[in-house]
Amino acid sequence: MTISLTRRGLLATATLAAPAIWGRDAVAQIRRGDELTVGIWGGAQERITRQYCAQPLERQHGVKINYILGGTPERRARAYAERGRPSFDLLYLNIFESRQAVRDGVTMAPSANVPNFENLYPLARIGGYGVAFNPVTIVYDRRMVAAPMTSWKDFWRDDLKGKVIWPTYPGAQGTAGLLMTAKVWGGSENDIDPAFRKIAELKPFAAIQGSQDQLYGMFDQQVGAASVEFGSFTRTYAETRNPNIVIAEPTEGQAVAANFACIPTGTRNQALAEAFVNLHLSPECQQAYAEQTYYSPTIRNITLPPELAAKLIMGEEAVSKLIDFDWDVVIRNQARWSSRFTREIAG
Amino acid sequence: MQDSPRAGWLAAPYVLWLLAAFAAPLGAVALLSVQESGEIFAPISLWPSTAQYAEILGDSFFLRLLLNTALLGLAVAAASAVLAYPLALWLTRLSPRAKPFGFAIILVPLLTNVVVRSLGIILLLAPRGVVSNAAQALGFPPLNLLFGWFAVGLSLVQVFLPFMVLALYDVLDGQEKRLEEAAAGLGAGPAVRFWRVIFPLSLPGLRGGLTLVFLMASTAYVSATLVGGRKVQVTGMVVLREGMEILNYPLASALAMLMLATSILVTFVFARAIGGMTPWVQARPPRSWPSLPPALRRVVVAAAEAVAPVVSRILLLAAIAILLFPLLLVAVASVNDSPQATVAQFVGFTWKWYAAVLQNERYLSDAWTSLQIALCCVVISLGLALPAAFALVRAGFTGKEAVGAFLMLPLALPGIAIGLGMLRLLQWFNQIPPFLGVLAVHVVLVTPFMLALLRASVAQLDRGLEEAAGGLGATPSRVFRRVILPQLAPGIAVSCVIGFLLSFGEVTVTAFLTTARLQTLPVRIYAEATFSLENTVNAISTIFILVTVALLVLVNRLMPLDRVWKR
Repeated sequence: MTISLTRRGLLATATLAAPAIWGRDAVAQIRRGDELTVGIWGGAQERITRQYCAQPLERQHGVKINYILGGTPERRARAYAERGRPSFDLLYLNIFESRQAVRDGVTMAPSANVPNFENLYPLARIGGYGVAFNPVTIVYDRRMVAAPMTSWKDFWRDDLKGKVIWPTYPGAQGTAGLLMTAKVWGGSENDIDPAFRKIAELKPFAAIQGSQDQLYGMFDQQVGAASVEFGSFTRTYAETRNPNIVIAEPTEGQAVAANFACIPTGTRNQALAEAFVNLHLSPECQQAYAEQTYYSPTIRNITLPPELAAKLIMGEEAVSKLIDFDWDVVIRNQARWSSRFTREIAG
Repeated sequence: MQDSPRAGWLAAPYVLWLLAAFAAPLGAVALLSVQESGEIFAPISLWPSTAQYAEILGDSFFLRLLLNTALLGLAVAAASAVLAYPLALWLTRLSPRAKPFGFAIILVPLLTNVVVRSLGIILLLAPRGVVSNAAQALGFPPLNLLFGWFAVGLSLVQVFLPFMVLALYDVLDGQEKRLEEAAAGLGAGPAVRFWRVIFPLSLPGLRGGLTLVFLMASTAYVSATLVGGRKVQVTGMVVLREGMEILNYPLASALAMLMLATSILVTFVFARAIGGMTPWVQARPPRSWPSLPPALRRVVVAAAEAVAPVVSRILLLAAIAILLFPLLLVAVASVNDSPQATVAQFVGFTWKWYAAVLQNERYLSDAWTSLQIALCCVVISLGLALPAAFALVRAGFTGKEAVGAFLMLPLALPGIAIGLGMLRLLQWFNQIPPFLGVLAVHVVLVTPFMLALLRASVAQLDRGLEEAAGGLGATPSRVFRRVILPQLAPGIAVSCVIGFLLSFGEVTVTAFLTTARLQTLPVRIYAEATFSLENTVNAISTIFILVTVALLVLVNRLMPLDRVWKR
């Protein structure tokens, strides 16, 4: 590539670049040849972000985007081990892990350096940049229940005795199950006893599930009738494999769960990481997620086809109905609750 | 290479490698386990505290956990042994041409993803599954064996049975056939010949197999998570939860150290028990057992001879069925047009998962990385394990058993704990070129397996042949090339295949070490499974199985899997 260096051209470039150079510090520039290391899940997550975030940046700025694929636990453990000297420039975490990581000084709080930050719902502005809402709700097999499930209290109905597949704790589903139980039976994250008491009442469980794939296997085999799971993946499962599965909309609301893009403290490629996140928050990328994985957008400036929007959490009102919790309290109690769950519920 | 302390030095390279590449993570885990505070950013104190151990040993939940896990490991090891004998004997009797395919059957579980294998167990044991339907057809009430200890044990037997079979295969194949013929000539039936000749002579192999299977089964946690339905708690699971989810490294490390202690103890018990049953190895006089009165003995022998052919055939069929069932699932699922893997019903036929794998250069480049690591790893591991095997078999020095146990340590520490230890060392580890770093760790993880298999092969070398060659003027190196190597060839081939597959499939530790410049195929598959498992994983498994069969046919050409001169 040859660039003709005319005086006017140089001047124009300098004029354009001046605010960017003088306005921000050294880490806040994208330079040709920079490498950004992104830690994210595999599968559709890798495919979509490569198409909508990585490739445009690579074309536009001549940078290189490296992926480290893996599960949340390894990624988080590594980020903690490397606090302040990260090998990631951007990593993706779940809602409570991301807020804890900010508190622990592992990742940075979000900022308006990312232009699309302005469009985020308030819920998606804590602990990083919320890139997808993926709420947890009740899912059930319509053939195995006497009546549709419309409330979290329906797990305690007589027709579900012995048919409940409870989610293990900790984990997004198990956390939602525990906290929603506390909420509907007069407790809260600060008063968890009612939850453990009521969940123990559900024994014997048909099974205890540790992941969505495991739950779908159980539904295939009709091991149990109902569980607590991500609505998004379950919708894909119901539409392609098992039309008898219903994704309920309980009157008390769905429990919030979300994926967050987090920029680690001490990264040398902050500007590039922010540009990546900005593209992730663009309507095109959000729409691709909605179409391919039924993830709900976290930005306000997006309109989706009505038949797709009907399957998602869309709009101010729907988002405000998502049940959020005091995650500081939840995290502080995680070890204690995990140990209680193992002893009182599982086993 | 006579019985001398000098031969002990042959173990030195492996010992040094362990000190260089394994002592550091082990030391990190040990240090973490004596921290008082479970807080993640608490400064590391060098003053040891027993707080974590006190918490574990004072809690009946943890004690039960450790005990249950050890019992599960023992049960799985015992069940694998029972199923492995008929299978290994069958394998030794196969014709040379059929042998690679026999090995392929054994290796199928090692080539399929654990999630897919678990689905197989679920389909078998579910309330509407194969076993339950069969029971109902026979008039029994419907069974629900799923999500309990039985299901976990079965899935562990399925994946660890191959190790037991291979550990037994070489010692059975190398046995002096004339002994069995002599026993038959003296009137012993098949059951008595097995019990009095074949079984005692195979004990060194059984020891290796039992040790391997126990160590693997007692540190495994993925199968327990998938088919135990969380009603089954094993120690590895709790280490993972405390370490990775709660971030309480000290408690997780202390638990891992206790697992390590249990494993070492059991390894010693196996060694002593088998040593007691094989007095001739140490040239000790046999212990005399009280024998049955002749009349009763005749009855027992007659009954055993009557039952043995049926039982051994049933066991053989059961073992083959357990091994092959996942293959069926994988092959069917790899052409199933469903967006999520682990599907029980067939939605529609498609080649698109194969296309997705073969057209995606990332799969291919990751597979190439894995292949390079696995090949280098096998070469280095063989170079370390073979001399170490000679040292453990032939050298006579005090503390030999302790050295043997030390060399098996990497197997006894759960992979997840090694990963936690590596995390603490990541800053230093990142200074090493990624390929070399991952390779060094893989060698640590793979060599104990190869050592356990090779040790039994070396133990049954015919020393008379070496002495004869030496007496005829052959130099030691010539003796090694012309006498020892040909006898060891099948053992080496088998252990190389196992080593290759282990390195090629390693995820637990590698997942922590992956960098932007180095990613292995299993880590990619694992990363995809953490989001949503697609049928590409089944397409990959099917391709692996086909490639493995082709490789085995090739290996069999180059390095016969049996002893040609004994045919």
